Amino acid sequence: MKTNFKNTIIAFSAITLLLVSCKKEEVTPIEETPTSTTGTVAINLEHTFGMNTEAFKLDTFYVHPMNGDSMKFSTYKYYISNFKMKKADGTWWIHPESYFLVDLSNESSAYLQLGSIPVGEYTEMQYTLGVDSLRNVSGAQSGALSTTNNMFWSWNSGYVMIKAEGLSPNAEMGDFAFHLGGFSGANNTVETKTVLFTANNLTISPDKKSEVHFKVNTAMTWCTSGSCAGTSMIMMPGTLATQMANDFHDGFVFDHIHE
Amino acid sequence: MKYYLILFISILLFSCKKEEKIEPVSIEKFEMEKPSYFPNPVYNFVNNEQTKGRFDLGRKLFYDPLLSIDGTVSCATCHSQGHAFAGHNVKISPGVYGLLGARNSPSITNLAWYPSFMWDGGVNHIEVFSVAPITNPVEMNETMINVVAKINANSTYKELFKTNYGTENVTDQAILRALTQYMAMIVSADSKYDKYRKGTETLSTDESEGLLIFQNKCASCHQEPLFTNFSYQNNGLDTAFIDRGRGKITQNPNDDGKFRVPSLRNVMLTYPYMHDGRFHSIEEVLEHYNSGIKQSATLNSELLSGIPLTENEKAKIITFLNTLTDYSLLNNYELGEH
Repeated sequence: MKTNFKNTIIAFSAITLLLVSCKKEEVTPIEETPTSTTGTVAINLEHTFGMNTEAFKLDTFYVHPMNGDSMKFSTYKYYISNFKMKKADGTWWIHPESYFLVDLSNESSAYLQLGSIPVGEYTEMQYTLGVDSLRNVSGAQSGALSTTNNMFWSWNSGYVMIKAEGLSPNAEMGDFAFHLGGFSGANNTVETKTVLFTANNLTISPDKKSEVHFKVNTAMTWCTSGSCAGTSMIMMPGTLATQMANDFHDGFVFDHIHE
Repeated sequence: MKYYLILFISILLFSCKKEEKIEPVSIEKFEMEKPSYFPNPVYNFVNNEQTKGRFDLGRKLFYDPLLSIDGTVSCATCHSQGHAFAGHNVKISPGVYGLLGARNSPSITNLAWYPSFMWDGGVNHIEVFSVAPITNPVEMNETMINVVAKINANSTYKELFKTNYGTENVTDQAILRALTQYMAMIVSADSKYDKYRKGTETLSTDESEGLLIFQNKCASCHQEPLFTNFSYQNNGLDTAFIDRGRGKITQNPNDDGKFRVPSLRNVMLTYPYMHDGRFHSIEEVLEHYNSGIKQSATLNSELLSGIPLTENEKAKIITFLNTLTDYSLLNNYELGEH
């Protein structure tokens, strides 16, 4: 009898504790789409420089095919954001909190993972080079948009779209620093691009690891008016920054789907 | 008996596995008091709900020289409560190593109403405002990476952030939002002028006449009740510009030599005046508008022939400006270092 009573108390307190300890979970239920109805896609960014077909590397001298500048990069990083994909039925899937900082000093950052995508056939992908104007004016951010990434201008609020730094004997002072940014009006450096999967659709399924490959020609940024022999330092929005940013956008092209 | 215990423990462990996110526990409400004649503030604490704990944490950060590279300069060094949150009546406030920048440290009251920040409006949001002085080489000269590392290495701060923001690892976002909780509460709305607006005090004859002259001759830019219209103007200080001001931000030559119209709240305490602190007294400022306007391409069109002011008018304007001094702001315990 005594044992039974004890057991009842233990059982009772166990249930009570259980209820108390898990109260928070009841308040905010975690809604998860069943994994069988979603899949992932990896975005693979392959960087090259000019005609050189080998992978682009930091700390290596390259000669620019257009302006002839010798350039050795110590930093090459940029933002890519706001991935969304269009299904064959015309509906859009929008990747939440879609902000990535691609930093070539960290190889894995050129390999972006998009998860929890509803299964199906996709015909189109959209993405933005740089950070959309809204996030440039919305206060303190986190993750890829943290100020600790040194990609935020403190004195003239806004994200740098692309930051390229290094050495060049063609530059007046022997080094270069191109911080290209600006998100509004004539000085906008942010661009949204669309890829139509014309050859074959992108299939998302739970048991498939699809990859979308892009080729990024890092030399394109200096193909029109950018050059170390000319202006080797840009630290604020302006006409030249916008031109160079447009050239960077043009060097960013969809290559193929790998399924 | 044993089975019950095992069952009890295993259920307990299993059931609470997912509960990783720590909720902030300090939720004591804390809101700013806005006089009825003030417009709605621009900053509305979205994603940064106001609590007393967060405000106290923000105040601790504001007064902490830990935010500077060598631990010598805090926000309060150049924004002192006794000076209505402006500098210590010097042209240029020294930063770390005694370095001097180019601009006067302005009063930072009523920032919650500002659409943009700094003399040139380069900063577009109060939450990212603090990044500029923290990282400026002639102010605090620190990096945001180091600030985050120093705060995370400090057990008191770690505990405070955990309690108030629910973060195990303190981020720059939480630090900036905590600072904002405090800065947005530096509200100056209890001067004699405010008491007059609230109907609890009357202005003297000279003060009333001063207000009328002010409304006729100054208020198109220094608009009541915040005493600024937040525009950028060239008020005729120079013919050529060493500091492009707003033009540096917009890259538009039509903005060269323009600076924010400063609020005149507590103006008698915040000398010297102008973006570079060139005028030591309010008399010099009024005489500048009366007889010292210098012509240039971007000069405000209302100032082409200056603002003629008699000695009597100047004296009455100054009498009125004295009613903008907010003594309760200077003595506000919650805003003070403690």
